[in-house]
Amino acid sequence: MVALAPVRAQAQAPGVVYGIVSDTAGALIAAVHVTTAGAAATSDVTGRYRLAGIPPGHAVLHFARLGYREAVDTVTIPPGDSVRVDVTLRASRYALEPIIVTAAKRSQLLDQSSTSVALVSDSDLVRRAVSTVDEAVDKAPGVLFLNGQVNIRGSSGFVEGLGSRVLLLVDGVPANEADRGGIDWDIVPLEDVQRVEVVKGAGSSLYGSAAFGGVVNLLTRDVPVGFHGRVRATAGSYADPPDSAWRFRDYVGGLGGLDVTGSYGTEALRGSLTLGGRHSDGYREQDRSNQWEGSGKAEWLPAPGTRVTASGSWTSHQYDVSPPWCERGQCDDRGLAFQPFMIGSGNRGAYTRSDKGYVAATVDRTTSAGFAWQARASWLRTHFTDFTPDDWGVGNRYGAELRGTLRPGGGSDSDRVVTAGVEAARADVTSDIFGGHAQNELSAYAEGERRVGPVRLSAGARVDAIGLAGGPLAGEVSPRVGAVLPTRIGTWRFSVGHGFRAPSLAERFVSTVAFGIRVVPDSSLVPETAWAFELGDALSLGSGGGGTARLDAAAFWTEARQLVEPTFFDSGGVPYIRFVNLVRARLRGFDLSLAGRPLTPALETSVGYTFLDARDLSTDSVLAFRPKHLLTLAADYALGPFSIGGDFRYVSRIERIELGLSWADDPRVAAEVLDLRAGWRRNAWSARLLVTNALNYIYSLTPGTLEPVRTTSLVLTWTY
Amino acid sequence: MTARAAAPIIAGMPKGIGRVALAAIAAVACNEGLQPTPAPTTCPKGGFVGICGTVTLRGTIPGNTSAVYIIAYGAFPQTRNDLFSFKPPLQSLKSLPLDRQTEFYTVVLPSGRYEWVLAAWVDTAFTLAGADTTLQVAGFYRDGADTTPAGSGIVVVPDSGVDSIDFVIDFSTMQRVCTYFPPCP
Repeated sequence: MVALAPVRAQAQAPGVVYGIVSDTAGALIAAVHVTTAGAAATSDVTGRYRLAGIPPGHAVLHFARLGYREAVDTVTIPPGDSVRVDVTLRASRYALEPIIVTAAKRSQLLDQSSTSVALVSDSDLVRRAVSTVDEAVDKAPGVLFLNGQVNIRGSSGFVEGLGSRVLLLVDGVPANEADRGGIDWDIVPLEDVQRVEVVKGAGSSLYGSAAFGGVVNLLTRDVPVGFHGRVRATAGSYADPPDSAWRFRDYVGGLGGLDVTGSYGTEALRGSLTLGGRHSDGYREQDRSNQWEGSGKAEWLPAPGTRVTASGSWTSHQYDVSPPWCERGQCDDRGLAFQPFMIGSGNRGAYTRSDKGYVAATVDRTTSAGFAWQARASWLRTHFTDFTPDDWGVGNRYGAELRGTLRPGGGSDSDRVVTAGVEAARADVTSDIFGGHAQNELSAYAEGERRVGPVRLSAGARVDAIGLAGGPLAGEVSPRVGAVLPTRIGTWRFSVGHGFRAPSLAERFVSTVAFGIRVVPDSSLVPETAWAFELGDALSLGSGGGGTARLDAAAFWTEARQLVEPTFFDSGGVPYIRFVNLVRARLRGFDLSLAGRPLTPALETSVGYTFLDARDLSTDSVLAFRPKHLLTLAADYALGPFSIGGDFRYVSRIERIELGLSWADDPRVAAEVLDLRAGWRRNAWSARLLVTNALNYIYSLTPGTLEPVRTTSLVLTWTY
Repeated sequence: MTARAAAPIIAGMPKGIGRVALAAIAAVACNEGLQPTPAPTTCPKGGFVGICGTVTLRGTIPGNTSAVYIIAYGAFPQTRNDLFSFKPPLQSLKSLPLDRQTEFYTVVLPSGRYEWVLAAWVDTAFTLAGADTTLQVAGFYRDGADTTPAGSGIVVVPDSGVDSIDFVIDFSTMQRVCTYFPPCP
């Protein structure tokens, strides 16, 4: 009897259930409530849960989270042992309203924003298995990349990456280059990005300069508790040109990459580190690239409501500079008018090494249900070295911000919210072509929101004072008002906002020779300005306010003045180029997006369309580099551990380009690109097969620059 | 593993998504994008405004050749300052291919009347200050019907392309720019 006691004790010992919760796209789901009789747990950010102390025998497990259909499973718990139960949740028709943090510099429901916001969710990132941040942002409705330069509703056009009219944020930290004002999309490894918010329209009332046409905020992953790891390996190849007359190499161009992330966290202290590298042979002549990247994040939670975060990244990217494609006579043209896969004789051997990185520290403190504040400091550094021709430049941007959010009524559902803050930044550049200069920025902003009856009214403004170091500061005031009205036919939103962009140091002080022509500085440039109007409606289609689809429509109208453009001048017979405040423009149109599960919950589809009428009012002509139609379609179907899907993107033929008469006969066409994908997931492993530009459609968006050909890649991911 | 039954699917509008998708994919199938295009032998049709023709290369191409451009003057330059009033603008110039004995060219020009269409040779050591020696005239268009000693090469460009602006580029008889504005240094 005594001898049997341990056996009986073990037979009655409780067991453990653990596992991973993911969605049908393979994305891990946090905050899933897992319950069974006498035990409950919540999945962490890696989708893991653990239920301990469960009596042996049959147990019924419930998995629930807003936005997903509840799942139920019956398992047999072995005495004193554990059992693993992985669950895939399907999205519910009663989807949880997304929470955004960028549009008002505070958290709010998507439908409470008075401006349009496009989201790239963690599920989108997993499903598309893209490798770079710009690839992730590119598929957002209304967003178009022109040779690396991001456009939101036609904001930036194409100016060789200079002076972006879109502001990039990394967890709210401004990350545009200090010297050229452009965006390095590789500044953060995509592995670190949890989701992306794209705010459309002028955002200067909260973000100041550069938020002229919109804001892209990359939100990085939280660090989970416990040990976690992730390895992602990519391998692939580029298709040959579709016509043998365009062949330019006798081997298959390849690409590959490896990213490794490790993290450890306790309730109070957490840290993660990501290291990665990738190589590409390129899809055209002189197009190789190598990239190494690293990033880290540490979080300290010393008390409830307090979080101290330090983060940073560093990327070294060396890439061939692929000049415009070869035209008749510039290479072995084989009797053709142009060879899109080959380059001409100019700039042969040119390459660039581009190093960039940032460090940021943030303190978030919620002192009560009605008040929270955040303080941050950041340093962004870029360093480029061009070879053949040889140029170099180093830019730094130092920034600091203090912000508070007050909800007088307390809680997130308060009828009144006020966000206010001050911001300071200093940008400097040292370069052989930009010289040595520094610029200071001081800003203060405030925006309040109040619910009056069913309407949410918001109003705010930001004052920016910007000037060269040692010189006077010039002021710019950017107000914005907005309203949100829920009705039976959707939630209507309206906003009027002011946008501006101070010229970059490069635009003011560039002094170089391009194609034998002097480019001369002009320190008298003044900021570009714009007024942006928007009227939109978001409508859930279906019964009960949930629906199988979400329709969002918005009409927009932007009046822009003093746009900075490179312009040719003649001085006594000697031509030169200078950036000047020249163009007055009008950009108007509408966005439509529709996303839902029309036939079965396993089939997710979306349509995004933007119509843009962009006019250069100075010359009464179409504004250059603004396509009129932009259409994006996506569909994904999940069946057990398998999934298939695809995207289609249509960009109408660009009517006008801006690089002089030499490209007036540029053989450009509309872009019609089909991407296909398939996925499989089992436990910690997942595999994704991607075929981008599956039809090997040959096109260009900027003159003489071939867009990517069909690329087949396999992405393997292991998550611990 | 069981999941709770789904609520009835709400019918209606979303069927349109599939139709749009099918129409879009059909559009892709019908459009093949850029295709290999034989080098032109006449002016492009549809929107092209400028001149086209064939240049014949003679003589030995100097080793210090940077580029050869075809340019046009609305009025024959009278002073050295006029030299940079040519079309197309500098930033739009494209060098002629020099690896064939004859070459078809196209040059985009604003519509109008041009008195001088020529080929300008550029030295690899070109500087604006030394333009007198580092820029040379390698050949120019002459109207074959004009038999006067000085000849003329007037070209009128309408709102379309003008073909057959043919001439010879002879690297053995190039003229320095200062020839036209003496004295030469």
